[in-house]
Amino acid sequence: MNYSKQEMMAVATGREICDGDLCIFGVGLSMLAGYFAIAHHAPNARAITEGGIYGSTPVGGLPWGIEDNRISANATCFTGAIDALGFLVASGRCDIGIIGAAQVDKYGNVNTTGFWDKDSREHRSHPRVRLNGSGGANEIGCGCKRVVIMAAHEKKRFAERVDYITTPGYLEGGAARERYHFVGGGPSAIITTLGILRPEPVTKEFMLDSYFSFSSIEEMKQQTGWNLKIFPDAKAVPEPLTRELEILRSIDSTGMLKKK
Amino acid sequence: MQNKLISLSKAVEMFTRDGMMYASGAGLPVGSESIVFGREMVRQKRKNIHYIVHSCSQQVNLFCAAGVCDKVEAAFSGLEVYGFANGVRRAVETGRVIWEDWSNLSMSLRFLGGALGWPFVPTTANIGSDIQHKSAFQPDTFPCTTKIPEITDPFTGKIYGALPVVKPELAVIHVTMSDVSGNAILLGTEWGRFELARAAQKVVLQTDYIVDTACIRQYPNLVRIPEVIVDAVIPWQLGAWPQCSVGVYDSDEDHMNTMNRLLGSDEGCAKYIEDYIHSWRTHDDFIKVVGKANAQKLMNNVTSHLLAPYRSWIKSDGEITELMEQSLFEKKGSKT
Repeated sequence: MNYSKQEMMAVATGREICDGDLCIFGVGLSMLAGYFAIAHHAPNARAITEGGIYGSTPVGGLPWGIEDNRISANATCFTGAIDALGFLVASGRCDIGIIGAAQVDKYGNVNTTGFWDKDSREHRSHPRVRLNGSGGANEIGCGCKRVVIMAAHEKKRFAERVDYITTPGYLEGGAARERYHFVGGGPSAIITTLGILRPEPVTKEFMLDSYFSFSSIEEMKQQTGWNLKIFPDAKAVPEPLTRELEILRSIDSTGMLKKK
Repeated sequence: MQNKLISLSKAVEMFTRDGMMYASGAGLPVGSESIVFGREMVRQKRKNIHYIVHSCSQQVNLFCAAGVCDKVEAAFSGLEVYGFANGVRRAVETGRVIWEDWSNLSMSLRFLGGALGWPFVPTTANIGSDIQHKSAFQPDTFPCTTKIPEITDPFTGKIYGALPVVKPELAVIHVTMSDVSGNAILLGTEWGRFELARAAQKVVLQTDYIVDTACIRQYPNLVRIPEVIVDAVIPWQLGAWPQCSVGVYDSDEDHMNTMNRLLGSDEGCAKYIEDYIHSWRTHDDFIKVVGKANAQKLMNNVTSHLLAPYRSWIKSDGEITELMEQSLFEKKGSKT
């Protein structure tokens, strides 16, 4: 294997982006996946960051943040939070958003806020482990037409129920989202370090759609904290092509992701 | 227009107090943020601050680690690619700081509502999530119905959320350049600074450069914070260090990591305060702490071209010293 698991994840996420999409990325792997897609197969996709910086490509390496100099050097527009997350995301204009998850459950609800000892969302004290909180992920989860969630596939992170719903997926499943009239469609995929999960169309429960060549259906089931069901046509994800890897690595020119 | 230049120490003395609702930045964890103002607040031993901030920053990290604040309302508590904010984590995980979670858009909408004098702001986001259902300020109630109460759209009958507005007692905002009265131009994303500047009851600017008002008159469209809402202006180059100021300097990778590492323990935090706050009083000494060569390196970056149109209007250190003597605050000070 001449690529890393993270690179496979980035390529698989990039493949979710279509030409012409209006896209919103976070920092790190999400941004790498996004800029990879634009350079590889979606030249007319338009990238924004929630930092309110539009039309730019990173200069000097992957940015340290969604507002730093590397993402500001060749921007076509500097604006702000209400423009990016309000006018473009909460309004429903954005086609696809890519967010990370520290914990995700079978209905695609995402926790990036914290872990508590008590195994319930009714915890009453401060968290045992404080994570980062929402940032703009909550708006992306409510407003984007499609949302792609990226997460390390480990049993403790793939829970029956998350400790805290930072970003709503399908809530309790089925038509639960409809109560809130979200303009966005909800998560369309969870790209993991092992493969891809997608929601069952009616129950909205996430099921095994495909696995990476270095993984397997068994391993994905083993690393999932709910009884992971499998789509009848589950298959292996095509490995990254040489050109895909070349482009991906040219974007991560400082090797920021490899250092992790 | 009045000359509102003020020294850093006097601004903290005059505009801050223990227990106040204080807002800063409305920048982001790596970008423009009024960090040197926060350092001075630590030096002057402010405490029990109720901190309103859009996203985490090294100022938030420092305040949590040093015990300056005991309540924070924010959308994000990390330092982006620099990782988790260790000072914040330690304070929140031990219960020393109560951290109320919002999201990035909801913080801006709360500022906008405060700025417009609205009673609340309707929102289509946050609802259905634990940002609505969990309140760190009211930990015994689940689901909490008073943090973001459900409201019914009077036209369609659909359910949405009501965000409480916020009007901080003081906002301290980092800007790239300002004239002496507080007309400010912000390079890079303005993020939530437009609405924060209008929500706060008092506004103090921390600026990298003082420019002639002729510059402001040349680019009035770019003045997103006008002097009519500004109370005081602190000239302080590199004031956002170790974060970046687009067009002026990069984030300082080494110091971002060193600072975050030290803020991860009480001993480290004490050392940080000794080495990077008590070690300077003047701007010259501050630059020595940053390191002259390091400052030069940070200022030679991929966004330097963005400053080109404004360079001819930038005031020199000598000119700023003279202007400072004519300021409203110096005149007042001389009377007392």
